[in-house]
Amino acid sequence: MQPVKWLVDFIDVRLGVREIYASELKGYLLPPKVNVWYTLGAVLIALFKLQIITGILLLMFYVPDAEKAFASIQYIMNEVPYGWLFRMLHAVGANVIVIALLLHMLSVLFMAGYKGRREFTWLSGFIIFNLTMGLCLTGYLLPWSQLSFWATTVATDAAGAIPVAGEFLVEFLRGGATVGNQTLGRFFALHVVGMPLLLLGLIAVHLFCVKRRGVSSPPFGKEYRASEPQPFFEYEKHQGGIPFFPNYVVKDAAVICFFIAFLLAIIFYAPGMFFPESAFQPADPFLTPPHIKPEWYFLWAYQTLKIFPSEIIGLGVQGLFMTFLALLPFIDCGPERRPAQRPLFMTCYVLGILGFVAISIWGHYS
Amino acid sequence: MDPNAPLPLQRRKFLMTLLAGLGALIGAASAWPVFRFLSPATAGSGSDQVLIPRGDVASGKAHFFQHRGKPAVLLQVAPGQFVAMSAVCTHLGCVVAWQETAGEFLCPCHGGRFSAEGQVLSGPPPKPLESIAVELDGDQLRVG
Repeated sequence: MQPVKWLVDFIDVRLGVREIYASELKGYLLPPKVNVWYTLGAVLIALFKLQIITGILLLMFYVPDAEKAFASIQYIMNEVPYGWLFRMLHAVGANVIVIALLLHMLSVLFMAGYKGRREFTWLSGFIIFNLTMGLCLTGYLLPWSQLSFWATTVATDAAGAIPVAGEFLVEFLRGGATVGNQTLGRFFALHVVGMPLLLLGLIAVHLFCVKRRGVSSPPFGKEYRASEPQPFFEYEKHQGGIPFFPNYVVKDAAVICFFIAFLLAIIFYAPGMFFPESAFQPADPFLTPPHIKPEWYFLWAYQTLKIFPSEIIGLGVQGLFMTFLALLPFIDCGPERRPAQRPLFMTCYVLGILGFVAISIWGHYS
Repeated sequence: MDPNAPLPLQRRKFLMTLLAGLGALIGAASAWPVFRFLSPATAGSGSDQVLIPRGDVASGKAHFFQHRGKPAVLLQVAPGQFVAMSAVCTHLGCVVAWQETAGEFLCPCHGGRFSAEGQVLSGPPPKPLESIAVELDGDQLRVG
C-alpha cells in the first residue's frame, strides 16, 4: 500500500477527512466566471501569515526599550544572520499588505460585492482594514528612529484637535505628555499581542461571512441578472461552478507567488523605497528632522488636515468619509451591480481614487 | 491517438512529482534563513583567551568569568599558583559555588563537591570540572 494513501486512510477512519474534502474543498463551488481579483483575500491571508512568522522571529532580538530599541534593530539588520531579510520582509510586507487591502476593497466596490445581504462581510472587512492601519501605526514607532518618533508625535498630536477631550486623548495615546518609553511600551503591546489577536478574530468572522453567504458572482456577461435580495437567509449557489480545490487554489497560489515576487523585488532592488534617511537615525526628542512625513497610506489624511483652515474640520471630513464608507452597503442597497449601469457610483469611485492619489502626492511634496 | 503517448494519469503523476520537488526546494530555501537566524551566535568567535588582572584574584579567592560563552572560574590555590576550570557542574549543568572556608567547590543543585583543582570529592557529578590552561603574563593572567 502506498504510504500517502495509508496515512490518509488512517486519518480518514478517525476524522472523516475525505467527507470534508468532498464537501468543503472539491464540492465548494465558486462562480464560473470568477476573476483574478477574487484571489486578493487569499493573498492577504498569505501576507498576514508572513507578518506573523517574521514578527515572531524579530521579537527574539528586538528590545522594547527607548534606550535599546534602535540598537536592537541595528543588531538585527547588521549582525544576526538573515536578520535584514526578516526585518525587510516585515516592514516592506506591511506596505504590500496595504496595497493588497486597497486593491481588495476597490475590486469589491467596483463589482458591488457588498450587495446582496453582505453587510456583515463588508463591515468586518472594513474593520480589518482600519485595524491593519493601526498595526502599521503602532509598528512604525518600534524601531525608535527619528522617523518613527516624529511621525508618531505628529500622528498622536492630531487627536488634540478633538474638542474638550483632545488634550486628554493625546496624553492617553502617548501614555504621557510626550512620546517616550511609556508610548513605546503600549504601542509594542498593542502591536504584538492586542491588535493581532483582534485581527485574527475578525479575519475568522470575515471568512465565516464569505463562506456562509456564498461568494458573489462577477456582475459581467450576458447571463448576469440583477436580483432583489430575499427577505430570508439564502446561500448563493453556483451550479456548474469551479471547485475551490484544486482548481481555484492553483489560481490563488499563482497570485500569491506574484505578490511574494513583488515583495522580494522591492527588498532586493529598491530596499530604500520605504525608508527615508531619518529612518536610519536614532530618535532624538530634542531635534525635529525637517519635512517629516507619514507613510504613503496616511498622506491623504495628513494633507487633509492641512487643507482645511482648522484641524477639527479636517478630522470631521475624514470621519464623515470613513463613516460613509463603512455604511455603504446600507446606503447603496439597490440590486444593480453592473458597473456600467451605476454611472453615479462609478463617477464617485473614479473621482475618489483620483482624489486619494492627488491629495497623497500633494501631501508628499507639500 | 498516438499509442505511444503517455496516459493522462502518468502525466498527472509526473507533474505532481515535479510540483512536490519544486515545493520541497522552495521550502528548504525558505527554511535555511530561518535556521541561520535562530542558530546561536558562533561560540568561541574571536580570541579564546581571556586576560584577567592578577590583582583580581586574591590568594584563596575565586574569580568567576565567561570563557567561550560559558561560566568559568580562576582560583589562586596558593600564593602565585593559579588554576582555571569550567564552573559548570558535570552533573546537570548548574554553576558551582566556591566555599572559601572549606577550600572546595559545592554545586548548590544536588550537593556535588569538587576540590580546588576540580576533582570530584563526593555527590553525583560523574567527572571532574573541565580544566582550562592558565599562565602568568606580567600583571595579567592569560586564561585559555
